[in-house]
Amino acid sequence: MLIASYKRPVSLVVLADILAFGLLFFYREPHDFYILGVGLLIITLIAGTYLFIVKKELGDEYLFLIVSMLASVGFIMIYRLNRGLGFKQIVWFSGGIVLFFLSYFIYIRIKIWNKLMYAYAFASFGLFLVTLVFGSNIKGSTNWIVIKGFSFQPSELIKILFIFTLACYLTHSEQIFLNALTLKLKQIKIKGRIALMAIVYMFMGFLVMQRDWGTALLFFIIYITMMYVFDADMKFLLLNVIIAALGGTAGYFALYHIRVRVVTWLNPWADIAGKGYQITQSLFAIGSGGFFGTGLGMGRPDYIPEVTTDFIFSAICEEMGIFGGVAVILLYFLLAYRGIKIVLKTGDTFKKAVALGITCMFGFQTFIIIGGVIKLIPLTGITLPFISYGGSSLTTSFIQLGILEAVSREGGQDEGSISDEGSISDEGR
Amino acid sequence: MKGAFRMKGAFRMKEDRKVIHILIVMSVLFLSLVVYLTYFELFVKDRIITNSYNQRQWEAEEDTIRGRILDKNGIVLADSPKTEDGWKRTYPHGSLYSHVIGYNSRTYGKSMLEASYNDYLLGSERGIFDFGNRDESGMRYGDDVYLTLDHELQKLASQLLGDRNGAVVAMNPKTGEILALVSKPAFDPNEDKLSANWQAMVESEDAIFLPRATQGLYTPGSTYKTVISAGALENGMEDLVIEDKGTVTIDGKPFSNTGKKAYGKIDMKKALAVSSNVFFSQVGVELGENVLRSLADRFGLGKDIPFEIPVTKSRFPYDSMGKTDMASVAIGQGKLQVTPLHMAMITSCIANNGVMMKPYMVSRVVSHDGDEIKVTEPSVLYNVMSTQTAGAIKLMMREVVKSGTGKSAAIEGVNVAGKTGSAENELTAEGEAKNHAWFISFAPVENPKIAVAVILEYSGTTGGGSAAPIARELMKAYLKK
Repeated sequence: MLIASYKRPVSLVVLADILAFGLLFFYREPHDFYILGVGLLIITLIAGTYLFIVKKELGDEYLFLIVSMLASVGFIMIYRLNRGLGFKQIVWFSGGIVLFFLSYFIYIRIKIWNKLMYAYAFASFGLFLVTLVFGSNIKGSTNWIVIKGFSFQPSELIKILFIFTLACYLTHSEQIFLNALTLKLKQIKIKGRIALMAIVYMFMGFLVMQRDWGTALLFFIIYITMMYVFDADMKFLLLNVIIAALGGTAGYFALYHIRVRVVTWLNPWADIAGKGYQITQSLFAIGSGGFFGTGLGMGRPDYIPEVTTDFIFSAICEEMGIFGGVAVILLYFLLAYRGIKIVLKTGDTFKKAVALGITCMFGFQTFIIIGGVIKLIPLTGITLPFISYGGSSLTTSFIQLGILEAVSREGGQDEGSISDEGSISDEGR
Repeated sequence: MKGAFRMKGAFRMKEDRKVIHILIVMSVLFLSLVVYLTYFELFVKDRIITNSYNQRQWEAEEDTIRGRILDKNGIVLADSPKTEDGWKRTYPHGSLYSHVIGYNSRTYGKSMLEASYNDYLLGSERGIFDFGNRDESGMRYGDDVYLTLDHELQKLASQLLGDRNGAVVAMNPKTGEILALVSKPAFDPNEDKLSANWQAMVESEDAIFLPRATQGLYTPGSTYKTVISAGALENGMEDLVIEDKGTVTIDGKPFSNTGKKAYGKIDMKKALAVSSNVFFSQVGVELGENVLRSLADRFGLGKDIPFEIPVTKSRFPYDSMGKTDMASVAIGQGKLQVTPLHMAMITSCIANNGVMMKPYMVSRVVSHDGDEIKVTEPSVLYNVMSTQTAGAIKLMMREVVKSGTGKSAAIEGVNVAGKTGSAENELTAEGEAKNHAWFISFAPVENPKIAVAVILEYSGTTGGGSAAPIARELMKAYLKK
């Protein structure tokens, strides 16, 4: 089975991993033999998972491939930066694959996902409240829960709940109100929208309270995107954008933290030793790499603060070059493209909305953090999906991927074929 | 099969078209990331990665012996000898090259050539396949940078300036090679002196860190009359004669010669020799705004001057010009501002038959093993005016030294050409006799080998009295070789 699959694209991922782990093994003396074992484990895990997906016809076969390449890049970089974190990331990665299958099968097995809007919203607010009450402040954001030395970021899980909440509303907008209140259909819809808006702004409000601006922005973009696609009322959309613009402006003047972010974005050089330190160190790293990079292990990405999480893209650019960075961006683009394709193939509104939400979550999150570390947009600290170090981020990303995979299978079943790519792509016929 | 049937047709739902819009938006966002990264790499990073907060630049220095900087004759101007605590950057001539070579300090960063030639000095331009250029212990040698500067001339220029603030620029008019580039006040760039004096220098009112020769902006004063002469000659005024009564009133504003001296009926040659403001202010009005503007543009005012260290643009900041503005510009006053380097380039341009050469001071970069990594060839920056026009100005400038205000620049046996200037500034505006003294010159007229621009800040003397002797001594020393 393995031999027969050498033509499949997974061989490229395996090849890249062999090269990277070989480099990691050789670049420093004394040689670290663990890395070879770990490399073998990773390669086996990726190849095995991939062949399982293909053989069992679980759905889109490229999603996992793209993601495993991204995760490989992340793992290689994290290991090179910090050996201990590298090993931990492997554990998260393995756990992520388990969660990927778990969420895949659970999602397919349970059929009432689209009727649980209140459950999602209440679970989210519950998690938010727990975070606010018991949360610890790590890196300036109060969005961590620490239990016996094990820290967890509930907002990562809330991302999924948020998508499901939106999808429920968009599928059955009547869910949002008790039947007793329905008098005319039209009225319900307008009221429903406003109620949904209130719920969304509550999500964002909690995030702002945790000073998690990046995720708040992300949620707003997802909300707008979903409303744009599934709810045709442009006036309402415009209203939301205006409210957000006003809110943003008010926040700029009222909240010192937001002002600082904008100021350091416009001119980080004015306070290079203080507020501008992170972003300028990031730019130094990207600039030092050039187009081809210094080579793995040859740069000094360890000068960048938060390099294994928020700023990992800068480290990739330093050692793998702008071309390496662009390759990573293109991989995310491919992921978004596959996601959108799944959305298009899916007929069921709820599943469509879920798939779109997850795809947008990956895509926009990537844009917000990469744009931030290269100073295209103001910096807001969120993780780079599948690459940044972190258990919460990696595992929940895999849960989302599992759900997306499940949707792809159900969407694909409409066509009667999944594994044979040739017959899928003839929508236009 | 029913499902498959539904698939036919481009999109099943109206939402699908909007989903495509979302894909387009995401594509644009991802593309903007790629474009911005490329833009950053091509146009931004060179400016920022030499910042002293970028600790990486010291990494390369850990295992590299920084290349030396030498003058045209191989005299070492910056060295990296081994000391007890590693290789140390030293500047054997103290403050003499502080505004040319700059400094290389872990605390204060890099400046001037140490910054702009950092890659060469660290040998990183040679790429990763370079296995030579190492000493026995495996330390890499950086590349040596040879300058066009002449150490003896530089030393002399600095001595002649003494403790006066100002700048001296000497260059070869035919090639654009810089022979001496002195700015005063200067400072000692050696690390220990730098850290001992830094605070005092930063707080000093003398602007010690300002490299006056390349970044100091001064009103050109009467030296700009050479440029105006080019305009006058091109516009058929070669035979113009004006009755100079010592003062002329233009639009209600008087323009006077120094000491309101009247010269009677004078032509342009005489007018330049005695530096008649009455003559040139009227020429300026006659030429008009467009000619004045295009003259300034042709001579490079308002344009970037390419050079190995940063140069401030000379300025011609008029939105629109009245008659008094035209008259002021024609005698080099008003809002015009030039750098001493630029003035030396304008002088060289006249000396070099109207062709302005691109200035440069790094002649070649040589690896430790002796390979030439980079050689600078002279190149033309602008073709400013015709040989005839330049020839006529040359003769007029010769007259300045022969019989006019620049007599003290005369060298026995050599035909020297020059032009004096005294530039108004914020102090003269308050009525104090504190003008800047200018002198530009070149020699020998028939075959120019050196062009010199000198400025003395707030000297209160005329260019002929104080600046011209400096130029004379420099040219004398250089031509004697």
